[in-house]
Amino acid sequence: MPETARILSFPARTRRHELSRVDARDAAELLLSSASSAWSEDGESEQLVEVLLAACNILRERINSTPAEVGMSASALYARLQETCPRLGLFDERHFLMGELAWLAGNGCRLGGRREDAERWFDRSDSNFRHTVNPAPLLARVSFSRLSLRYDMHRYDEVLEFLPSVSLSFEKLGMQLDLAKTRFLEALALKESGRLDAAVEVLERLTVDSALESEPGFLGMAFVNLGDLRAQDGDFEQALTSYGRAHALLKNANHTYAIAHLRVSVADTLQRQGKNEAAIEAFRGAVASYAAIGMPTWEAYVRLFLAEALLGAGRAREAEWEILAALPTIEDQQMVPEGFAAVALLRESVKQRKTDPKALLELRQYLKAKN
Amino acid sequence: MEISQEHDSAATSEEQFESEIQTVFQETLGLIHIALVSHYQLSEQEATELEKDLFVWFRRFCYRPGASIRENRPYLLVACCQFAREYQKYLVGTGVRTTDERLTRILDREPVDVAHDFSRSLQLYDFRRSDA
Repeated sequence: MPETARILSFPARTRRHELSRVDARDAAELLLSSASSAWSEDGESEQLVEVLLAACNILRERINSTPAEVGMSASALYARLQETCPRLGLFDERHFLMGELAWLAGNGCRLGGRREDAERWFDRSDSNFRHTVNPAPLLARVSFSRLSLRYDMHRYDEVLEFLPSVSLSFEKLGMQLDLAKTRFLEALALKESGRLDAAVEVLERLTVDSALESEPGFLGMAFVNLGDLRAQDGDFEQALTSYGRAHALLKNANHTYAIAHLRVSVADTLQRQGKNEAAIEAFRGAVASYAAIGMPTWEAYVRLFLAEALLGAGRAREAEWEILAALPTIEDQQMVPEGFAAVALLRESVKQRKTDPKALLELRQYLKAKN
Repeated sequence: MEISQEHDSAATSEEQFESEIQTVFQETLGLIHIALVSHYQLSEQEATELEKDLFVWFRRFCYRPGASIRENRPYLLVACCQFAREYQKYLVGTGVRTTDERLTRILDREPVDVAHDFSRSLQLYDFRRSDA
């Protein structure tokens, strides 16, 4: 057997010069920007691993600003790796990269409202991370994402039941930021379960948590929710103060989907204060934000709030436009079961230029309960 | 000016991180070499090649979440034993190398278990280090 064969064929020793992190990032940007870019590297190239790791970092940074795009890029990269790279990197790196990409794709789907897809991606992430050398922190993150998904599905009891175990994992592993995120999810689940005082307590503790100083986007979200709770309590002044702090932080973090959520919260508070015109403008801003970041289900959902506000202000024609803009997405994305009566009633009433507010309310409440 | 300062500080913290990876790897290299040469019976040249791969892997591994660089040393040993085992199994399996009883025994063991034994040496090293 020739000497080279002994070394070269196992493990692949086609080591070229290592890429600097800056070069890897530049190459990753290029890879992400061109959907059909040539995948010229073979799967055993170390440069490809460096580029893919950099791509994961970039996607992680963008997940809160362009979740749909991140979801698509991550799932496309995952598919390409699966097809073209049966071997990749050293030791457990293929499993790690596939797990990361699946986790990113799952979060992209979750934030975009594609829950079944998200669940499947988290399964893929789990099944890859399980084969890495230190799976505990990675699996804990997937567990947290799964709980976030359950929160989205309004399964708050389950979130509150399983969250302490995930928190404990993060605590044991010294993952302070992830631990703070579990506290945040706990506060949200408490809030939605009607345990408002407990939720305020957790959120107030979070807003002074030093672990969050480096995460303005996340801290901003804590302020959004604190504002919501204060508004629910009728303390509108404090609510708007919290929203103000949230806006500055979220803008700084380019946390676009959170800014869209914030606009909905502000609109809701303004509506409660009877400031209908201002509320309408805030709802419009939220609709535009969701449209800009590619979250069509949220865009359609908020259009219904906007339509209600417009109807309340006696602007029936504008309300009809919003409903007509929302209905195709509601049906295409199967946000309601086929033949859902309120949709048919609403469509018919809009056609006759007599928008049925009851059907609108019923549809919005259904979507609120579901989404 | 502010941007430049932020950039400098980020570069410095990354340099420190990279430098710590090198330090920790160097500290563990003696143990790795013993594992590869004495236990997995690799030649010096083969061991040196695998050590290079291990460093590349370890450097990237340290950027994953969940543990400090120093806490990652046991995983470095797991990777070391896994690399060595797969390499020797490949050579034995293709008939390039003959095996003896000692090598067969270590190749039959799970790399995680072998690495666990080596981790005890790391604990001893840490104890001596803190005692110094």
